[in-house]
Amino acid sequence: MAAPGAARYRRTLVVLALILTASVLLAVAVGAVWISPRTTLQIVAWKLHLIPRPADVSVASQVILLQLRLPRVVLAVVVGAGLGASGMMFQGLFRNPLADPAVIGVSSGAALAAIVVIVAGAGAAAGGLLVSGAAFLGALVTAFLVYRLARIGPGVQVATLLLAGIAVAAAISSVMSLVMAFAGEQIRSIYFWLLGGLGARGWSSVEVVVPFLAVGILAATFQVRDLNLLALGEERAAQLGVEVAASKRRAIAVGALLAAAAVSVAGVIGFVGLMTPHVLRLIVGADHRRLLPAVLLGGAIFMVLADLVARTALAPEELPLGVVTALIGAPFFLWLLRREHGRSLRGV
Amino acid sequence: MRARVIGGLAVALFVLSACAGSSSGTGAGGSVGVIASPSAAFPVTMTDDDGQQITLAAPPERIVTFAPSMTETVFALGLGDEVVGVSGAYDDYPPAATHVQQIGGAGEFGVDPNIEEVVALEPDLFLTIEGGDQWKQQLRDLGIPVVTLNATDLPDLLDDIRTVGRITGAVEEADRLTADMQTRADAVTTDVEAAGGPVSCFFEVYFPPLTTVGPDTFIYDLLRRAGCDPATAGAKTDYPTWSIEKLIADPPDVYLATPESAKSTAAVAKRTGFDAIPAVAAGRVALIDSDLVTRPGPRVIEGLEALETALHPSG
Repeated sequence: MAAPGAARYRRTLVVLALILTASVLLAVAVGAVWISPRTTLQIVAWKLHLIPRPADVSVASQVILLQLRLPRVVLAVVVGAGLGASGMMFQGLFRNPLADPAVIGVSSGAALAAIVVIVAGAGAAAGGLLVSGAAFLGALVTAFLVYRLARIGPGVQVATLLLAGIAVAAAISSVMSLVMAFAGEQIRSIYFWLLGGLGARGWSSVEVVVPFLAVGILAATFQVRDLNLLALGEERAAQLGVEVAASKRRAIAVGALLAAAAVSVAGVIGFVGLMTPHVLRLIVGADHRRLLPAVLLGGAIFMVLADLVARTALAPEELPLGVVTALIGAPFFLWLLRREHGRSLRGV
Repeated sequence: MRARVIGGLAVALFVLSACAGSSSGTGAGGSVGVIASPSAAFPVTMTDDDGQQITLAAPPERIVTFAPSMTETVFALGLGDEVVGVSGAYDDYPPAATHVQQIGGAGEFGVDPNIEEVVALEPDLFLTIEGGDQWKQQLRDLGIPVVTLNATDLPDLLDDIRTVGRITGAVEEADRLTADMQTRADAVTTDVEAAGGPVSCFFEVYFPPLTTVGPDTFIYDLLRRAGCDPATAGAKTDYPTWSIEKLIADPPDVYLATPESAKSTAAVAKRTGFDAIPAVAAGRVALIDSDLVTRPGPRVIEGLEALETALHPSG
């Protein structure tokens, strides 16, 4: 890629990586309980076998840092990267910057499937894997459904996409209401899934979600080229050798897998998948090959900082993560809608 | 669609608080004024916790109890035969209550009473807790006396039970029941003092996320009376999600959970990081039947005794 601007692009990636590193360090250093940077460094150095076990560090500090805070920050990185990449896949596929796993109902679909498994009582028996699998199926079905509904003629219009998303999300919402009515004591699980959050997760969740996301991100790297060609229009893409139908099916599957992996551990968290690709498209351009690494970093940054706010703003109480991202994201979403509206009026 | 999800959450929260049967916040709460002659001769006029004035001309014979706590209270006053409708599947005590027609399950999220079914039952008293201002107004407009009582703490609950006794003509039963509850509550107070005063505790209502109780809840009042200084004294909301970091940094002497939040005391110890809580490592974990502490009815006294036993096992 010796294209003009390649140096600038590399610089952008380095800056994003530095911001992510700084965010992670900040998120590890700050929490509901104050652990001094010196203690934090001692614990980390000890875990990396650089120094012997520090004598004056309490067990509580070690547990808080190593078993609670660190896995939570790692999970935020992974989930944020997944949601960012998922948003990019859907926006590329729909050729529409308003597509996002939460907006088009994919996250709700994943959550609904997961909830049904939990309420049926199968979740506890089979563990996280069954719930994740159900979430993936739910995301996949919803994504295909919205895509089929929204697609009238070439490409997907903003209005049809939003209408299809609203219709599908409303249907999912009423099914959720129904499940909730029969959920009894499980209703808090549903509440948790709907608001989203990374609390009480730990390393086991990291282990569950990382393979799914790794496969998803790897698959995404094979799709970015096709997304670029599809952006030229389906006919043109076909002339350039893209098997359009198959390529779009793969893109939906990859986007759904990425969203489902994130939802299966973090619940429905909106706006990350919407904002991240859009902001980064403004910075690195619309080339999906360049966009993918950037949205992985950008999504991770957004999620790490949002979760930091969620767990420290009202400490020791925690805010639902979905509420924090929505507080930041909703005004952005409105701005985006107005901007899109203006553009379509000008015929761009 | 966002609004619908948020609306759904609001209702989920309402259901939670309704299931919890707790009463805090919005309602008038506190004392309830009953203006009646000493013999409680009817008509009885009262102002309920929604600020509504209700006049009952004669002792009610067809009562709907729209809250498990109300169902338990009315049955405990010996009026089970007069209960013609209950809210739903949660009205499971006493067992006889499960044979009464359930009139809940209506409304967009299935937490409202079915108005048609209520009207068909021709009730002359509809007893319930906070919430549902719209359907309450609808029932009032249809001429059904709706009485809302929110118990904010134990003394308020005893007051409310006596109020129910007065408006249902079961004054003596209510006096006997509340006197017995008061005696048992006093015995708990004595036991706590004998055991050396309060210990710190954490009460978990749900996990995950780690959810506990704030100072304005009914459970919190029971915890205090059972000899516990809840670790969540500074909570700003009624059912806050609590930082596990904070729980580990300021560990409680006793960890309390419910069978809904934890399958067993061993399951609590297995959670990530929880083994760093000395009380959990030492096995000072107890599961409390949530129906006994979350429903402000006659059985809270059993809940209070169970809490006291868990908090002061030797005492």
